[in-house]
Amino acid sequence: MATRFELVLEAQESAGPRALADEVFEELRRREACWSAFEPSSVVARLNREASTGWVAVDEETFLLLAEARRVFEESGGAFDATVGALMEGFALRGEGARGEAARDELKTPWGCGDLLLDEGRRRVRFARSGLRLDLGGIAKGRALDLAVELLRDHGVERALIHGGTSTVVGLGAPLGEPAWRVALGPGPAAPVALLHDSALAVSRALSRRGPDGGHLIDPRHGRPLARESTAAVVAPRASTADAWSTALCVAGEACPALPAELAALRRAGAADASWRPLSAELGAFQFPAASRPPESLQRA
Amino acid sequence: MAGVALTPSLAELAPRAAGGAPLRLAVAGAGRQGRAVLQELQQIEGAEVVAVCDTDAGRLERATRRARGLRGYASVEELLDGESELEALVVATPTHAHRGPAEAALEAGLHVYCEAPLASTVEDSRALAARARASERVFAVGLLARANPIYALARSFHRSGTLRELVSLAARDHRKTSWRNPVSDPERQERLDWRLDPALSLGLAGELGTQQFDVFHWFLGLYPVSVRGSGSVRVHEDGREVADTAACELAFEDGLRLHWEASLGNSYEGRLEVLRGSMASFELAWTHGWMFKEAEAPTQGWEVYANRQTFHADQGITLIADATKLAAQGKLEEGVGLPHPPLHYALARFVAACAGEGEVHCGAEEGHRSTVVGLKASEAVTSGETVEIPPELLEVR
Repeated sequence: MATRFELVLEAQESAGPRALADEVFEELRRREACWSAFEPSSVVARLNREASTGWVAVDEETFLLLAEARRVFEESGGAFDATVGALMEGFALRGEGARGEAARDELKTPWGCGDLLLDEGRRRVRFARSGLRLDLGGIAKGRALDLAVELLRDHGVERALIHGGTSTVVGLGAPLGEPAWRVALGPGPAAPVALLHDSALAVSRALSRRGPDGGHLIDPRHGRPLARESTAAVVAPRASTADAWSTALCVAGEACPALPAELAALRRAGAADASWRPLSAELGAFQFPAASRPPESLQRA
Repeated sequence: MAGVALTPSLAELAPRAAGGAPLRLAVAGAGRQGRAVLQELQQIEGAEVVAVCDTDAGRLERATRRARGLRGYASVEELLDGESELEALVVATPTHAHRGPAEAALEAGLHVYCEAPLASTVEDSRALAARARASERVFAVGLLARANPIYALARSFHRSGTLRELVSLAARDHRKTSWRNPVSDPERQERLDWRLDPALSLGLAGELGTQQFDVFHWFLGLYPVSVRGSGSVRVHEDGREVADTAACELAFEDGLRLHWEASLGNSYEGRLEVLRGSMASFELAWTHGWMFKEAEAPTQGWEVYANRQTFHADQGITLIADATKLAAQGKLEEGVGLPHPPLHYALARFVAACAGEGEVHCGAEEGHRSTVVGLKASEAVTSGETVEIPPELLEVR
């Protein structure tokens, strides 16, 4: 995940919360060690090496994560795809030397979450096509945060805020005396504000050129980097859902098929440049139009 | 290429279940280590984890929450009573509670994998090792270096004389964590924070150092004759008595010294072991390893193609298991770093051994010897004195 996580806990003293924070961060590190495509000993790296040639047994949490990724792939019409790892490498969209050369012709490299085969009975994974490469960057951070929140709840925590890299944040309960955690999507009083109460917010964005803050999204439907600027924010009961669907919305925008009913509404507070996309009377998501400025880092409003 | 002829192939370490039926295992202890064991066992073909036990209801619930078909029990006794088709038990309970579950499992005719250190007293360690030796079941101790392919490669170089004369040994285990469990119930806190209980805990030297001391025991085929230690609370001023920072000097009979230090207050350099020789040095960091050659050391042909990394003023040759095969495939770079966490290899060897395929990485007697060294190091840190390690303590009678 290679990102900074921060946890806000309310407490009367420090020893207990410090111990809890240690355990939470240990859980996050464990998940990174398991799901990072860049760790040679991770389950994802092992799948990328071995799953093209046969079934590979995985642990329960990894299997559940892959099943969720597969589900979002199907429901989003392919706008979210966890098998774009080879495309990410081919278009040099990773790391500081990332170029994201949109002018490059389509790479002859396989991708497609439809070729990710899951054997639920024996908890095994296989790639139906050789050369497929998993990249769980669009969902793993959210799932790791979900597990961290689960850990907090196990220890009786009712109020906490935890985020990873300011792009995915979970509000557990609400601050004392407040109805929800308020998270602004951008600077200034006109920035849209997400109200989080036992829910998660994820923001994805793409720039047409690789910059310091983004521009690293592949459009899996076409097998090339997203050529337009786009930003999407989604609130959902779980961070993995918000994470994956913010990526899907960023890629497909209005063309995205109907989103799942569990997505919750974002409350707008005088947003000048973000459009609200209602999905039902109560559900929706923010979609920032191409001309708008991408949001700066999240801040508590 | 890099010592390939002496390197155990990674493929040889994959277990093959006899007759196609997976080995049915259970795990005793659902704390951090127990959950890590569960996660690795789920990824080993030929292993099927059917049950877990823990006296703490919260931990047991967490372990079984999403694990399909995994049955939970409140004690080892209930687990052994309830699982009539069990074949093996992994003991991941607190150190002072290893002997009971391990002996009960042997008594029930199960194979046993016991985490290290083997026990919290010499008497318990010796008794358990003797019981294991007398049993016809497979018994493995969780001293992980002996199953680690990178460490095996380094050891093969050492045994072929690459280091030449040994100059000095060093090890560090630096972590930023409190060892305290976030529990609000005082009774539960006392039980779960056993590492901070001076009456139960072996401290940093025993709980962590034992693993690292064993690296050198395995490489050298020798055990230290004495150890002196020191420790203090440097960071976690929460009323604890168990040192959060400790250091030991272990002395071998020929004058060789192993300098070891550990801390819960700083994570720089993580966990690693260093062997310095007159012609080369090894730096081993569990998932990675490097060899640093002296300027006048003879050059081997394979070194021309070796993967190298620069560390300030030194250039290290990366130790890569299966290097020849990877180089032939043009994938040498992909071989940097172990493909599985160290725990995986030890468990995989155990599962294979239970199926009649090969030996465990560390048996009861070696486990006992390294446990004794860890116990004595713990004693040295607590007392601040030099503690002798009589060779007769290392014997299993």
